[in-house]
Amino acid sequence: MAQEATSTMNKKKNKFTIGKFLNYFFLTVLAFICLYPFLNVVAYSFSGYNAVLSGKVTFYPIDISLTAYQTIMKNSQIWSAMWVTIFTTIMGTLIGLILTIAAAYALSRDYLPGKGLLSGLILFTMYFSGGIIPTFLVVKGLGMYDSLTSLFIPQAVNVFNFIVMRTFFRQLPTELEEAARIDGANEMQILFKIILPLSIPIIATIGLFYAVNYWNSYFDALIYITSPDKFTLQLRLRNLLFADELANAGGNGEGIGTQVMSQSLKMCCVVVATLPIICVYPWLQKYFVKGVMLGSVKG
Amino acid sequence: MKKQQGQGQYVHKRTTQQTMAQVWKCRWLYLMLLPVIVYFIVFKYVPMYGITIAFQDYNIFKGMFGSKWWGFTTFQKVFADANFWSAIKNTLVLNLMTLAINFPLTIIVSLMLNEVAGMKFKKLTQSVLYLPHFISWVVVAGIATNLFTQNDGTINNIISSMGGSKIPFLSSEGWWMFTYVILQVWKEIGWGTIIYLAALTGVDESLYEAAYLDGATNLQRIWYITLPMIKSVVVTMLILQISKMMTIGLDAPLLLGNDKVMGVSEVISTYIYRIGIVRAKYSDATAIGLFQSLVNIAILVLADWFAKLIGEEGII
Repeated sequence: MAQEATSTMNKKKNKFTIGKFLNYFFLTVLAFICLYPFLNVVAYSFSGYNAVLSGKVTFYPIDISLTAYQTIMKNSQIWSAMWVTIFTTIMGTLIGLILTIAAAYALSRDYLPGKGLLSGLILFTMYFSGGIIPTFLVVKGLGMYDSLTSLFIPQAVNVFNFIVMRTFFRQLPTELEEAARIDGANEMQILFKIILPLSIPIIATIGLFYAVNYWNSYFDALIYITSPDKFTLQLRLRNLLFADELANAGGNGEGIGTQVMSQSLKMCCVVVATLPIICVYPWLQKYFVKGVMLGSVKG
Repeated sequence: MKKQQGQGQYVHKRTTQQTMAQVWKCRWLYLMLLPVIVYFIVFKYVPMYGITIAFQDYNIFKGMFGSKWWGFTTFQKVFADANFWSAIKNTLVLNLMTLAINFPLTIIVSLMLNEVAGMKFKKLTQSVLYLPHFISWVVVAGIATNLFTQNDGTINNIISSMGGSKIPFLSSEGWWMFTYVILQVWKEIGWGTIIYLAALTGVDESLYEAAYLDGATNLQRIWYITLPMIKSVVVTMLILQISKMMTIGLDAPLLLGNDKVMGVSEVISTYIYRIGIVRAKYSDATAIGLFQSLVNIAILVLADWFAKLIGEEGII
C-alpha cells in the first residue's frame, strides 16, 4: 500500500505541472542573479578602454583586451599584497588548526578535571568581549603594531570552530581509544595515532574555515598595518577600488596619491583576488556545509 | 588501587588525593591546553580588563593604570551625542529591514529547492546560490559599485538605454538602504538555506504519502505538513537573528557607505571605528562598545528565556 503510494507519488513527481515549471523557472532566475555580478566583473576586466567608457559592457567583454591583466601582472604592489595574504593565510590556518585541535581534543575528554571551567572560559568570549579599542591597545602594547603577526595572532582561535571540532571529537567511537589505552598508549599517542587519522574531514573543514576567513579579511590590516608593503590583498584592493572616494575623504594611508584607475583595471583586480576562492570552491562547499551542520548541534 | 580506577570513570566525591592523581594523569592534556588558555587570557580577557578605560580620562602616555578615573563622565558625554543615537537607530533599521526581507525569502527558497526532483539541477543551483557567501565584502562592494553607480554603473546604463532616468542607488539615503538590503540578501540567501534544507530532509516521507492519498495539492502539502514540521527550526532561527539585532559587521556599511549616505549608513560598529581608531578617542569608543555588549547580552538572555518559554530549545 505504502509502496504503491510512493510509486504513484513518483509518477506524480515526474508529471509536468505549471507549479513545477514556475519553481524551476524562479530558481534558475535566482541562480542567474547570483552569478551575473561575476559575469559582469569578468566582462569588464577583459573589455577595451573605450567600450567600458561608453558603458556598453553588460554580459560579455567588448573589444577584448588583455591590457588590464598585463598591467596587473607588472604591478609590484599587487604581488607584494598577494604574498602577504598567502603568508598570513597559511600561518593563520596552521596556528588556528593547531590551537583549535589541542583545545577541542583536551576539552572533549570527560575525565579531564576542570574541563567545565576551562570550556566556560573559552565560550564566554563568544558573548562578551573587550571590544575593538581595548584589543587594539593590547595588540599595540605587545609590539605587534605594523607587524605581520598582528594579522594572524590576535584572531588565532575562533570559538565557533572550537565548538564544531569539540562536537566532532565527542562523537567519535571510544572503543579504539580504550584498546590503545590498555596497550599502554599515552594521550599524545592516542591523539596522533588514533584520533587525528579519523578526523581528516573535520580538519579539512576547519582549515578551510580559517583559510577563507584570512583570505577575505581586511579589517585587521586596516587598523594594525601602516606600511604599504605589509598591506594584504583585500586592503590593497579596497584602496584601489575606492581610491577616488578615499582621496576625497582624506581617508587612511595611501588613498591620496593612488592614481584613479580605469574601471576594467579595478575589475581585473577583483578577478585576481577572487580567483583562488573560486578555484577551491568545489571543496569549500562540500566541507563548509558539513561544518555548518556540526556547528548547529550545540556543544 | 590507582590502576584499578580506570580513566573515564566517574567517582562521586573524589578525595583531593584522587583528584590530584587524575590531574597528574591528564598532564599532557593540560600542556596542550596551555597555549590556548594563554591566548584567551592575553587577547580576550586582558582587553576585557581594558574596558576600565571607559571609566577613565584615558591618556596614552599614562596608560590604563595611570589615567585619571572619572566614573560615568564618558558615558554622559557619549549619550548626549546625537550621532550615537543615530548609529543605534541605523543599526536597528538596517537589521530589521534585512531580517524582514531575508528571513521569509530564505524559507521560501529552501522550500523551492526542496521541491526540486532532479538531483543535478538541485546540486547545481545550490552551488551557485552558496557562492556569494565566500566572497569578501571588499569584492562585493567593488562589484556593487560597478553595477550600481549612478553615472556609469551597468544597471543605470541599462535603465537609461531603455529610456528611464538614472537611479542614485548608492548616493541617496533611501536607495542606499535598498541596495544594502539587496546585497545582504544576495550574499547570504543561499547559505541560509542549509539549515532549513537539513530540517526538510528529516521530514517523514510517509506524511507526504498520506497527504497525497487524501488528495492534497502541492501547496496544501507544503502548508499543512512541511511548514509545521520545520516550525521549530524556523522559530529558533528567528530568535537567533533577533538576538543579533544590535550588531552589524563593520565590513558592509563601512565599504558601501559614503559621505552622502552617512545619515543612514553609520552603524554602531562603524561609529566605534571612526571614533576610536580614526579619531583616537579611546575612552569614548570603549564606552560605546561596552554599552553595545551589555545590550547584546540583555537581548540574548531575553531571547533565550522567550525561546524556552514557548517550549523551544534555548539558544545560549
